[in-house]
Amino acid sequence: MNGYLKNIFRFFIIVVLQVFILNKVTLHWFSEPAGALFIPFVYPLFILLLPFETPVWVLLVLGFLLGATIDTFMTTAGMHACATVFIAYLRTNVLNALMPRNLSEYINQQPSVKNMGWMPFLVYSGFLILLHHLVYFMLESWSFAGFGSLLLKIVASFITSMLFIIVYILLFTRQNVSRA
Amino acid sequence: MGGIQVRNFILIIRRFFNLILFAVLEIICFILIANSHTLQGDDMLNSANAVTGLAYKKQSDLFYYISLGKMNDSLLSENARLRKMIDQYRSIDTLKDMPVHRQLSTADTTTHIVKFADYRYRTARVINNSVNEVNNYITINRGLQDSITKGMSVLSGTGLVGKVEHVSAHFATILSIMSRRQPVSAKLKDGTFGSTTWDNEQPEMFTMKDMPQEAKIKKGDSVFTTSFSLFFPPDVLIGTVAKIEVNKKNGLQQLSLKPASNFRNLQYVYIVNNLMAAEKKQLEDSSAKSK
Repeated sequence: MNGYLKNIFRFFIIVVLQVFILNKVTLHWFSEPAGALFIPFVYPLFILLLPFETPVWVLLVLGFLLGATIDTFMTTAGMHACATVFIAYLRTNVLNALMPRNLSEYINQQPSVKNMGWMPFLVYSGFLILLHHLVYFMLESWSFAGFGSLLLKIVASFITSMLFIIVYILLFTRQNVSRA
Repeated sequence: MGGIQVRNFILIIRRFFNLILFAVLEIICFILIANSHTLQGDDMLNSANAVTGLAYKKQSDLFYYISLGKMNDSLLSENARLRKMIDQYRSIDTLKDMPVHRQLSTADTTTHIVKFADYRYRTARVINNSVNEVNNYITINRGLQDSITKGMSVLSGTGLVGKVEHVSAHFATILSIMSRRQPVSAKLKDGTFGSTTWDNEQPEMFTMKDMPQEAKIKKGDSVFTTSFSLFFPPDVLIGTVAKIEVNKKNGLQQLSLKPASNFRNLQYVYIVNNLMAAEKKQLEDSSAKSK
């Protein structure tokens, strides 16, 4: 029950963080004449931090809900939902590849720096966030015209999102490990 | 035969349930996106619905509150501009056959705006304020660098406040009209003039002594500044008559005035520079000498 509550709570925190704070942060890295505007996306982290043994269909439904919520706030009909469902589907495979044991053996644990170590966690989150951004920005531009700028946008957003995700992890990770 | 097929079908569904769910959700997403890309298609997920609308409203209320200070500042500078415009019209000398405009020399030659007004307004924020002393001072966040000089008069949004007394590079202190040593030349609506004084025995009131018997004064009458002063612009509200006492011996009326400015929560003031003060003072001094 504690785990459920924690995740419901995290859902709201991440949505509020994304919609009311990060969506106001518009960045102009490598800004071109056209001005490649983008926003750091931290909300996929909710999917990434769900417990190891979460079944795929739950991940998919939650991913859709989360994406749809973000879409509702940003008026980007379905784009975030599409990208989030995509990474929710791939999450289990990526974790299986990264973790030494079968995922069902990690009971009541969630992917975190504490449980995985910095390097595996960054590879896991970095890979999925990159895929998320790839899908989202491709849907957003809806064409391969200006492929260079699209790529630049994806890379720049990816780096910023990862920076914000690392900050989130550092801020919201419990420091005392005595609980275990 | 049929039973095996159904069982196989169910097995396939169970085996590929995740993939099917994934495909279904993605198809829903694509339908949503495709709908939003047509002109007549209505966005099913948009930020105009009740929940997100409310959330955004709350957020905008919060930021509205946070940005109130900035908004206030901009309104204040607009007021200063409007006050100057009023003075431009007021300074047209209607006694002459033709309206006479006094053109003032201004430092900025880049603009082609001709400045006619005798008074120039600047805005300032109050950063310190006393009300309980015999002579009360107000400190503002403007100084020599903002071309504030000694003797400029200070108004609030509602009435007269005082006169600039000391100036440093970035700050200035104002001797409030709630001070024993700052009488103000004042007039009533009908033009009867006198002067207002203040003492801290009656901290919320000004007194205006020895008004003539024939002046018809009612409670609530407004008292304005006169054009006699070197510093204060004319027709600025000082206060309203709150109490009238008649001296039985000579029939002179003693007025108690409620100040127009609220000195206890003063936040913003206008600094007014009388551009004609030097000329007027020089002339008056020379005629006093020749007496």
